[in-house]
Amino acid sequence: MPFLIENIYEVVLAIIIFVLLGTGALVILTIARRQRRDKYFQRIDDLRQRYSPVIASILAQKIEYERGLEILRGISGMDRDYALEHLCLEKKPTPDQVPTLRKLCEDLGLVKLWQLRLRGGLDVASIRDALGRPEGVIQRVGTLSFLSRAKAADNLGIIKHQPSWKLLVRALGDPHADVQAIAVRSLASIQEPESFASLVSRLQEIIQKPSETLSLRTVKTALVSFPLSQMSALLPSLRHTHRRVRFFATDIIREVVERQAAWEEDFVLDAKNFPAELTEVFLESLAFDENPDVRARSSAVIANLSDARSTPVLLTLLEDAQWFVRMHAVRAMAKRKFLSQAPQVARRLTDSHWTVREAGARTLLVFGRVGSEQLAQHFLSTEDRYSREQIADEMQRAGLVPTLIAQYGAEREGASTRVIDLMVQMGKTSYLIWAIENNPSPEVRKKFLVHFGEEPDPQIRTWVSHVASTDADAALRTLAGELIRIPEPRRGEG
Amino acid sequence: MEEWRQVFYHAMNMFNVLIVSYFFLANGTYTLLMIFSLVSVWVHNRRLGYLTADDLRESPVTPPATIIMPAWNEQEVIVESVRSIMRTDYPNLEIIVVDDGSTDDSLNRLVNAFRLIKMDLIYRPRLATKAVRGIYVNPRLPNLVVISKDNGGKPDALNVGINICRTPYFCTLDADCILERDALLRLMRPIVKSPENTVASGGIVRILNGCEVQDGKVVNVSMPKGAIERFQVVEYLRSFLFGRTGWDLVGGTLIVSGAFAVFHRETVIEAGGFLHDTVTEDMDLIVQIHRWAVHHKRKIKMSFTSDPVCWTECPAKMGMLGRQRRRWQMGLCQTLWKSSEMLFNSKFKAVGMLSFPFHLYVEALGSMVEFLGYFMVPLALMFGMVPVPLFIMFVVLSLVYGSFLSVGSVLLEELTYRRYPSVRDLMILLVYAVLENIGYRQVVLYYRVQGVMKFIFGFRQWEKVTHLGATP
Repeated sequence: MPFLIENIYEVVLAIIIFVLLGTGALVILTIARRQRRDKYFQRIDDLRQRYSPVIASILAQKIEYERGLEILRGISGMDRDYALEHLCLEKKPTPDQVPTLRKLCEDLGLVKLWQLRLRGGLDVASIRDALGRPEGVIQRVGTLSFLSRAKAADNLGIIKHQPSWKLLVRALGDPHADVQAIAVRSLASIQEPESFASLVSRLQEIIQKPSETLSLRTVKTALVSFPLSQMSALLPSLRHTHRRVRFFATDIIREVVERQAAWEEDFVLDAKNFPAELTEVFLESLAFDENPDVRARSSAVIANLSDARSTPVLLTLLEDAQWFVRMHAVRAMAKRKFLSQAPQVARRLTDSHWTVREAGARTLLVFGRVGSEQLAQHFLSTEDRYSREQIADEMQRAGLVPTLIAQYGAEREGASTRVIDLMVQMGKTSYLIWAIENNPSPEVRKKFLVHFGEEPDPQIRTWVSHVASTDADAALRTLAGELIRIPEPRRGEG
Repeated sequence: MEEWRQVFYHAMNMFNVLIVSYFFLANGTYTLLMIFSLVSVWVHNRRLGYLTADDLRESPVTPPATIIMPAWNEQEVIVESVRSIMRTDYPNLEIIVVDDGSTDDSLNRLVNAFRLIKMDLIYRPRLATKAVRGIYVNPRLPNLVVISKDNGGKPDALNVGINICRTPYFCTLDADCILERDALLRLMRPIVKSPENTVASGGIVRILNGCEVQDGKVVNVSMPKGAIERFQVVEYLRSFLFGRTGWDLVGGTLIVSGAFAVFHRETVIEAGGFLHDTVTEDMDLIVQIHRWAVHHKRKIKMSFTSDPVCWTECPAKMGMLGRQRRRWQMGLCQTLWKSSEMLFNSKFKAVGMLSFPFHLYVEALGSMVEFLGYFMVPLALMFGMVPVPLFIMFVVLSLVYGSFLSVGSVLLEELTYRRYPSVRDLMILLVYAVLENIGYRQVVLYYRVQGVMKFIFGFRQWEKVTHLGATP
């Protein structure tokens, strides 16, 4: 029996016609869309050509502000406000352009429009826009109106419109995630001191009851963009009973302090830039917090304190039971002012966790010559294989091997020779050979050949063969030739 | 004899029911995905007006990331590819190139181009891999590491990269791909901004053939010259713009293209890394992470975003296309087969209840049904089981519906990203969208069926797809 249903022909035919019509409609839509977009971009290009130089001149103060404003007010059409917004905010303004741009947007009526949109109100411009661009109305009504609110919040942040900060704080409670996130970003851009507390309280809320709309990272990003002077507002959070609230507050201060320290060469946290209360909390409470994450993150701040207690506290953190606390403490001490603590840092080279050993080696390298000597001394004296491996690793990564070879060439049986000898025994010869090959002095090559030419290391054997056949120096070729003829390497026999 | 005749008729009828059901299930799902995606991609495109990459670039809390690039015999493109990714706009970026035992000059070219020095550094294998032969670093370019290892296949090379990687997130990138400058920042956005624990984020892969590339950057986008490549442009648009977007919207992401995706390193390690028992390690990893999350009661999210773009060269010849599609289909079957516990398993939510069944019944087994349909329906016609007009109408319907979906993906592209600026290219896209279902689709179906057969008969080897070198 064939598989048939009643009136199947009609049904299938109807579907075919429907799908064909649908396909045709999609083709027409695609082409129409292309034409409309081309027209739109043509208009934008035209406006850009005519008015972008005016805006650039206003921002550069090359033409009189009022005159420029009058020219811009001459823009007409259904999409006037949209076009003006596009032209004014097309390029990210430099910090010195922001005040003029802000005034321009205010005088053109854009700021009022954005504020109205952020409040969720319906404006004349939107109606006009809807008539000019069907997309415009979609963006401003119903569930998709968040697009308009978020863009308005973004624009207010770009021009750092300080009077809008309360409106933006209100937008933190917007039902849509995008509006909340953009409001947070704009508040960070405006940096109104009073808004800091609102952001902190939002952070606390999210930590204690995870939000489905706003991420912790978003709020944290905003908070870390505030200046150091604002950080005292985090004091209640640093003393909060919730361990994650304390952690985030500590981490925010750490980010701000580290950013400041990267900008200023001799940066220290003292009474002038860091309230005594904060110093006390860090030294007396956070460094000994029950949450190891808090202890870990506090070390970077403590390392920048001018307070005399900071070094003993850091040394305590260096011995913490948690490896990541020790790691953060070692990293925090990577400052020249802790040069005298090099032996304490060197002790971490034998730490049970490799990331701490790695941090220790890197911190010592930051100490310059003293640190390198300490590192070499430890490398030679330690019996800890892992510690040696770590140091060899760091010496290679830091590109110290060519320097080592140069020192080796200049000295008689000194520390460099012993370090190289140990590296050869450990089989860390790849970079050594490279450094020798790239050292212009035949004397250094000869010295290395004499010292290590009989080593069983396969890379050294290959190099000796290479020297024997290709080196420009005849004496070296002969010497290498003799070494390569030795059937069994001497060390191998023993 | 009459009994056998009845059995035959019955079987044919059953098959006809099956093929009609397959037709409606597949096309119905695709249509739904297209509608979802039209709204979703359009809205996302509007959101880009305020979701700029600036805040991520400037934020101190944007997590550091590593690009891991596995490479095997890629001497023609490898240096330019690395140069291109070194220009990636991302704060705190590291690059790890894993040379998977190339037999060509790939490693030497990298060493010479970037003045790399072989160093005897510590290798801590958290994931088991083949032996590492050497680690190459230039102390002046500390964010670039090249690793040479014994050949072990792409998953093995990726695992070596993960073992060396130190950042919380890593991005896998094929050696023949070109990343748009801010693509990684955009790909990281869902991870950074989402309040949920996003462990994988995939972006869109577009076809490089026909585009103009200068200094590792796509400077002019246009349609390729060859018909096979043009069909693939339409296919990729359909697959990425509405296939993956649609599944992402319902929380059913099952495939993230390994050519360009970001993963959370610890999650991947805990899930076992890239495994060697399938030939599509990217899909396999996603499935594995889903299983790991359910077994360990972790709440995770996977994300697909349509604006971060990675350009890749597609096969220009039928032979290469065949290799690629056979591998994809075989990998799909392998992954679905070994993860059958997910099928209609409500613990996996949309992935188990919607996406997995769809991929199994429509994408994997559906290819067999469709292929057999090309023989069985004419057979039924011959035996008078299907009236001729109905047969013709059904064939027309399947072709027209395919075109409808392909044209829909072109419209989606036009509504949003408009990457093909010339009107001529748009017309070509539309023509190829209509024509795709006549000839090309059947050839690809044939390759897919070969892939299923290879899976059934237990073949496992990776068929290497060589490129003509569209990237300089």
